[in-house]
Amino acid sequence: MTTMLFAKALSVERSGQRVLNNVSFKVDQGEVQALLGGNGAGKSTTLLTFLGFLTPASGSAQVQGKESRDDVGAARRAIAYLPEAATLYDHLNAYENLRYFLSLAKADAHRRTLDAALERVALQAEAREMRMHTYSKGMRQKVAIALAILRESPILLLDEPTSGLDPAAIDDFNRLVRELAEDGRTILLVTHDVYGACHVADRIHLLHKGELAGTFDRPSGIDRIDTEAVHAAFATHAAVS
Amino acid sequence: MTATTGELEFLAKDRAALLWLGIALLVASLSVFLGLREVGAQRTVLGALVENDRAEREVLTGLHQDWGSVAYYTFHLTYDLPSDFAFAALGTRDTAPWKHRVRALALEGQIYETDADNPDFALIGRFDFAFAASMLVPLLLILLLHDLRSRERTAGRYELLSATSASAGSPWFARAALRVGALLLCLIVPLLIGGLLAATSASKLALASLVVTLHIGFWWGVCAAIDRLCWSSPVNLTALIGIWLALASIVPATIKGSVEAAVPLPDGGTIMLTQREAVNDAWDLPKSATMEPFIERHPEWAEYAEISESFEWKWYYAFQQVGDQVAEPLSNAYREGRIKRDRLAGRLAWLSPPALVERTLQGIAGTSMTDSIAYEQRVRDFHSTLRHYYYPRLFRDEAVSDASLRERPEFSAMNK
Repeated sequence: MTTMLFAKALSVERSGQRVLNNVSFKVDQGEVQALLGGNGAGKSTTLLTFLGFLTPASGSAQVQGKESRDDVGAARRAIAYLPEAATLYDHLNAYENLRYFLSLAKADAHRRTLDAALERVALQAEAREMRMHTYSKGMRQKVAIALAILRESPILLLDEPTSGLDPAAIDDFNRLVRELAEDGRTILLVTHDVYGACHVADRIHLLHKGELAGTFDRPSGIDRIDTEAVHAAFATHAAVS
Repeated sequence: MTATTGELEFLAKDRAALLWLGIALLVASLSVFLGLREVGAQRTVLGALVENDRAEREVLTGLHQDWGSVAYYTFHLTYDLPSDFAFAALGTRDTAPWKHRVRALALEGQIYETDADNPDFALIGRFDFAFAASMLVPLLLILLLHDLRSRERTAGRYELLSATSASAGSPWFARAALRVGALLLCLIVPLLIGGLLAATSASKLALASLVVTLHIGFWWGVCAAIDRLCWSSPVNLTALIGIWLALASIVPATIKGSVEAAVPLPDGGTIMLTQREAVNDAWDLPKSATMEPFIERHPEWAEYAEISESFEWKWYYAFQQVGDQVAEPLSNAYREGRIKRDRLAGRLAWLSPPALVERTLQGIAGTSMTDSIAYEQRVRDFHSTLRHYYYPRLFRDEAVSDASLRERPEFSAMNK
């Protein structure tokens, strides 16, 4: 199995403070892994380091076997990134937003392709021509997810992707993530939603104060990771902090 | 869709950017229109004056039978034609005189008597393309570029945009370049249309366009440098406005003050007063007090220097010249001082790109201080020719004849 993302003894400092300390994990092609943790655990920092926005203080962050800081462009071309509370342009409609961002990525932006992606994230057809300032938070998130899908990058980094989605939409999203993984896409998502992570991920890394506090795998033949075990570990660390 | 067309579509939907670009187009168009109107008015005035000047001399021909009266009553129009690019940079044409009606009398007063009107013009101020391109355009560019990255950071889109972009510099370079290009078009298109209407030479338009492009390039660099400091939009804007204020206002004002302090010079009014007092005093002085300094300057008329009557035209014109001679040190100091100031200001203008651009455009338009001084010198040269024409006729007391009048010098304006 090809390793798509590899954090090797990764440490990162921001404003002179160590926010990620000696974290190691790897994500193989077609896998869904989740970084779970409370605020300030280092989840988003990990994603930003893979994207080359942050430079490791020590260790390495590799994308498709290459150090991301050595070729930031190549790393970003390989990754579709969905930031937390992704804000697209309010003065554009869904099609215009997607076309604009895809033009930056030099990706296909035919109307049929856009409609297919928007269908996949269940954004109502009648809303697609409306400017995004009329959208709810969940609808905006759906367009952002559609953008990540349309990038057709082998790797998806999703930062709190279900934030703002209603329970039905979260369920749809989880199903979509599994479909993408079955298509061969590699997905690393950041969340503090224990239940959602257990349902969608093959492996969960629990981060606490910048350090890896535990790893939980989906047992073979079972459709989800043991929610109670993860919850217990998460609660223990929350209590300690 | 390519990244460029994507950015173009994006720009077409950015209302704030479109507003600033619209204002730039309006400012440039208005400045070109006002410049064309002003230059048109100046040409109309000159056309009428040239016609009147010729007609007046025809009326006077044969009216006076002595050269003293002919020289006294005959005016000669001297003027500085606006160049084919003057509409874009009026320069000194609204603060320094560009036409004089001179006679063979003392010259200094005739040159500087119009100076007293200038403060009125200066109060109204000038709004031409050079002013728009040098002072206002940097401000519009700042408003277009100051928050390219910072507003995306504030909106939480910065990482998404950067991560989505296929190349490292995109979309920031493309986004800025399109805005800069659009601003440049908003400036250059009205300038080119004005140039077509004014039949401006292609080389002048090309040079002016290059100057404006380089100026915008400079401010683009300043905006990019500030943007890289990762400050918020209001801080970026404050810093850039501060830099604009310093370079467009404080530095030029400091340069002006320093140059004036370093090179003091008399004013035109003092020169005019000195000359007029000298001329008026001559009426009450012995004739020799006039003729001696005159003959010193013109020894060729020494044998005609004796004045036997209480009034003789040759004495009258001699004391007019002596009046100029008395004011000559002041006049020379004024002229040389202005040249020195202009040279010094030209060197110091490199500290203020807006001032440098305005000076350069005025240089292309032939409306700079150097051009104003050159025109003044042409007036002096013509006046000297006029004196050399009249003196032999006055001193030898020749009879006025049509043939001799036809030899009278005519001022010919220089096409720029």
